[in-house]
Amino acid sequence: MFTKRLLTVLLVSVLFILAVAPAAAQEGGNLRWSLEGINDLVSLDPAKASDSQGFTVIGLLYGGLVRLDGDLNVIPELAESWTVSEDGLVYTFTLREGAAFSDGSAVTASDVVWSLTHALDPATGGWTGPFYLSNIAGANEVASGGTSELSGAVAVDDRTVQITILQPSAYFLSQLTFGSAKIVSSKQATTDAQWENNPLSSGPFQLKEWNHGQGIVLVPNPGYYQKSPLASITMPFIQDSETAYQLYRTGQLDIMGSQQNGIPSVHVAEAEGQADFRSTSLFAVRYVAFNNKLAPFDNADVRRAFALALDKQTLANDVLAGTVVAADRILPLGIPASELPVTSLSFDPAAAKAALVAAGVTPETIGTVKLTYGVEGDNERVVTVLQAMWKESLGIDVTLEPLELSTFSARLNETTQTPETGLQMYYSVWGADYPDPQNFLSQQLRTDVGNNNGHYSNTEFDALVDQADVLTGDVATRLGLYNQAEQIAVSEVGWLPLFNPRLNILVNPKVVGVVFNGQGLIIPDFAALNVSA
Amino acid sequence: MGNVILRRFVSLPFVIFSITFITFWVGFLAPGDPILSMMGGRNDQATYERLRHLYGLDQTWNDQYFRYLGGLLRGDLGLSFRYQGRPVVEIVSGGIPVSVSLGAVALVLSLSIGVPVGIWAALWQNTTAERLSMAAMLMLYSIPSFVLIPIFRWVNYQFYARGWPSLPVAGWGQPEHWIMPVLVLAAASVGYIARLTRVSMLEVLKQDYLRTAYAKGLGQNRILWVHAFRNAVLPIITVVGPSVAFLVTGAFVVENIFAIPGIGFLSVQAIQQRDYPVIQSTTVILAAAVVLMNLITDLLYSLLDPRIRVEG
Repeated sequence: MFTKRLLTVLLVSVLFILAVAPAAAQEGGNLRWSLEGINDLVSLDPAKASDSQGFTVIGLLYGGLVRLDGDLNVIPELAESWTVSEDGLVYTFTLREGAAFSDGSAVTASDVVWSLTHALDPATGGWTGPFYLSNIAGANEVASGGTSELSGAVAVDDRTVQITILQPSAYFLSQLTFGSAKIVSSKQATTDAQWENNPLSSGPFQLKEWNHGQGIVLVPNPGYYQKSPLASITMPFIQDSETAYQLYRTGQLDIMGSQQNGIPSVHVAEAEGQADFRSTSLFAVRYVAFNNKLAPFDNADVRRAFALALDKQTLANDVLAGTVVAADRILPLGIPASELPVTSLSFDPAAAKAALVAAGVTPETIGTVKLTYGVEGDNERVVTVLQAMWKESLGIDVTLEPLELSTFSARLNETTQTPETGLQMYYSVWGADYPDPQNFLSQQLRTDVGNNNGHYSNTEFDALVDQADVLTGDVATRLGLYNQAEQIAVSEVGWLPLFNPRLNILVNPKVVGVVFNGQGLIIPDFAALNVSA
Repeated sequence: MGNVILRRFVSLPFVIFSITFITFWVGFLAPGDPILSMMGGRNDQATYERLRHLYGLDQTWNDQYFRYLGGLLRGDLGLSFRYQGRPVVEIVSGGIPVSVSLGAVALVLSLSIGVPVGIWAALWQNTTAERLSMAAMLMLYSIPSFVLIPIFRWVNYQFYARGWPSLPVAGWGQPEHWIMPVLVLAAASVGYIARLTRVSMLEVLKQDYLRTAYAKGLGQNRILWVHAFRNAVLPIITVVGPSVAFLVTGAFVVENIFAIPGIGFLSVQAIQQRDYPVIQSTTVILAAAVVLMNLITDLLYSLLDPRIRVEG
């Protein structure tokens, strides 16, 4: 009897709590935008942020000299204009009149110089500055701790900044759109040791609340030149994208899905076709790469045989059910130069076998090769199919080596340092940091660059990208050079591109002013960003 | 008994010391690298070396370990690698109250349902209702939380889709955020406690002294609660101690899925990112919790059973 009564009381109280729980409240003017895959932000210092979720927030809190518009062109932000010297080495920026931090103080040229120096300073502990700002004169000297004066950045007067670069570059402005070049209040940062927890904002929004482990709340910055009519943006941190999807479905979010954490693939079918479903092919490519310093993959014909043996259409459309787009080239669709044609190595089992013959090897002399990959998402499924396809088309046995992600990147780094003891062949991914072919070709496959883990090397390729990297002004010629270089890397299989991932997200149709493309969600005009009632 | 407790207290620091040593070595020897994780696949050897130096990862193992141990003794758990510059003490201390209160509520709930259900089942042994309820308890015990959660969410969505009151799917801070995670956490232990209570009660109900009590004409309630239950409760106490540890570790999954800022949530991300200072701290805290719970269990034992007091 006692238990029965207790159970009844309990059941009634649970039902009562269910009944009084407020149904999803729709507040006007509050944009609810989840950040998936994290449980907290790394830091609000733009020089220390290191993941895409962090950079989404940094992009809302801080302005840069320039930023990207919805078509991925570089447009003025806190610099209203700039000039470039004849030799392409000196950029002179004029700051926007009236540009102000969230406390009302003016954004000055010395804030720009301080922020760039801070991003390079080894004591800051960030990696993005040394990586993206290295073309600025004196950047390496600051990054190596030799000096704290960045010689290439000069505050001419309060509203004029002069930046000198080491070599002419068509993508330098693109690099300045990245988080490491955002502008911080030097006055606050040099006087308040705790500034990162409550930073002054130079961007369209300012920090209202940061609840560690839960989320942040932003409100518009009155000092920014484009004033959003939104009252606030609430950004909860949701580790699990399935949870974010469920929150969206029950009316608790306006935007869900971000790089690597889109709609969980099991729900894509039910979300597709609805007004809030948005899908794009990302500026990223998943590929297999080879250790070019070790047999058998030091031979281009062997690499070609491995490329010709893969039926990527089946992989993309059947195995991965259209959640990716099969890729036959290195540049993802939408990156400049990806509109120029490339002759690719499409699936052709006969040609694959012929390539093995041309290489003078047989499956027996090659023996067993090992494909290493990081355990994440669909990787397991992909590599298993690759293994089967190589066996079927070439008769070559491939063993699979799964590694936990952090271990995988450590092994990749070892492959760069000591190729002799490195990986033989690996399945990896590269996503654009900024939409320029240089980020995919020169930074990945040029001889001896840091990211060229597989040590692909071709002098003709190097000469072409070197020429293109420094070419400014003549866009068509520059892209033509990259196209020739890409053709070499495709024919010689510097990388074996497999597919471009798709990102599927949900955006409430009431949200206006956001553009979704391969770079993610972009807000071209913050004054137009709103949630309509 | 006093001796046992004294011995336990003395061994506590040694247990914790061993845990720090083991965790440190596992981290030190495990492949993977916090700096590479941070740099997300971009290779820049010079920057990499500088960051390794900044975080002290280029020091020898004994320098790293003793620096950590020294800090621990002063209550300084070091700085997080991932949440750059934030003290681990601050990060972890935010999570502990959340995890502990979540676990405590779930435990109280599972005891307050599991124990009465178990007693009831023992009294009504071999009836259809009893068999059905025990089958239900077995099911609760065996369904893992990652299966239970989607079921809860599906039901909740059906409510939402019909415009009926529904629960938030995830989040923290409002009272309604507690309901789903607490139910999920409690489900497994309810099943376990109910079945255990039943068995234990059945055992006691067979004893001669209960027959004597009935023969004396004592009231049903007095027999049940004073004579039977008090003796049946010992095995339950035995499982509740470790069960607290189970609730905290079980919270790894639940906290992650419900986006609850507890200590389990923190640990998972710290492990993925090789955030050694955070991993070490959460491990030490969990280990200390387990040791402490075992101690409390022993104390309760001696309070409830005079025989143990004498033997100890």
